Amino acid sequence: MKIVGVSACTVGIAHTYLAQQKMEDAAKKLGDEIKIETQGTIGIENKLSANDIKEADIVILAIDVKISGEERFENKKKVKVSTETAIKSPNKLIAKLHEIAGKQILNGKARG
Amino acid sequence: MSPTSLGSILDRKTIITDLKADTKYDVIKELAKKFFEQNYIDSIDEFVEAVYEREGEGATGIGNGVAIPHGKSTTVKRSGVAIAILEHEIKWESLDDTGAKVVVLFDVGNDSEGAKKHLHTLSLFARKLGKSEVIDSLLNSKTVDDVIKAFDE
Repeated sequence: MKIVGVSACTVGIAHTYLAQQKMEDAAKKLGDEIKIETQGTIGIENKLSANDIKEADIVILAIDVKISGEERFENKKKVKVSTETAIKSPNKLIAKLHEIAGKQILNGKARG
Repeated sequence: MSPTSLGSILDRKTIITDLKADTKYDVIKELAKKFFEQNYIDSIDEFVEAVYEREGEGATGIGNGVAIPHGKSTTVKRSGVAIAILEHEIKWESLDDTGAKVVVLFDVGNDSEGAKKHLHTLSLFARKLGKSEVIDSLLNSKTVDDVIKAFDE
């Protein structure tokens, strides 16, 4: 399935990017497509386009602070967690996203 | 991925291996001293204070024996990374039940405009630390070369 999300921590230096990496790896392991926008001290990177959001099956917000543009996800199924949760249990988190989106895990074989 | 080798960006002079330390404070202080000696920061005390301010906001131990403390302060002249591989694991607040055997300390200036390029590099380091292969290599690093190589994997 397609996952989009945002990651943002309090200082915006380390945990934001760690969470991004962990979630990307966990999702790819399951054959998912994933794009995580980071909102850190350097500003917004890997910005989600309107189309990215439109096509996504689910939105994951791994955030410890208020983010800019949260309203973009208003009509989407979404899950909000802390960056700590995303770093600590990325596999469990992605499995949870599947459950909520109602999408079977493909186990990395078939994509899209 | 970016062709720039992260290992080549690391400063050999701010990496310590086989550090004998018993407390979190010792490690942070040792690494801050390295930053000071290599002209990254103006004041060890002010920088350590900034690191502890961040520590107060939540665990910087990211699991598997790795901690990533960081300090943002006006005493920072240039951003960088200092790394300590400890002789033995010490107590450190973390997301799992481990302490810290590998400590990666970031220093960041308050002038985020001028530091933008550095911050981007630091974000790439943070991402690397999300990879278990990198963590394994770091935990087993005996020399500065091992540490640098770990980031190039």
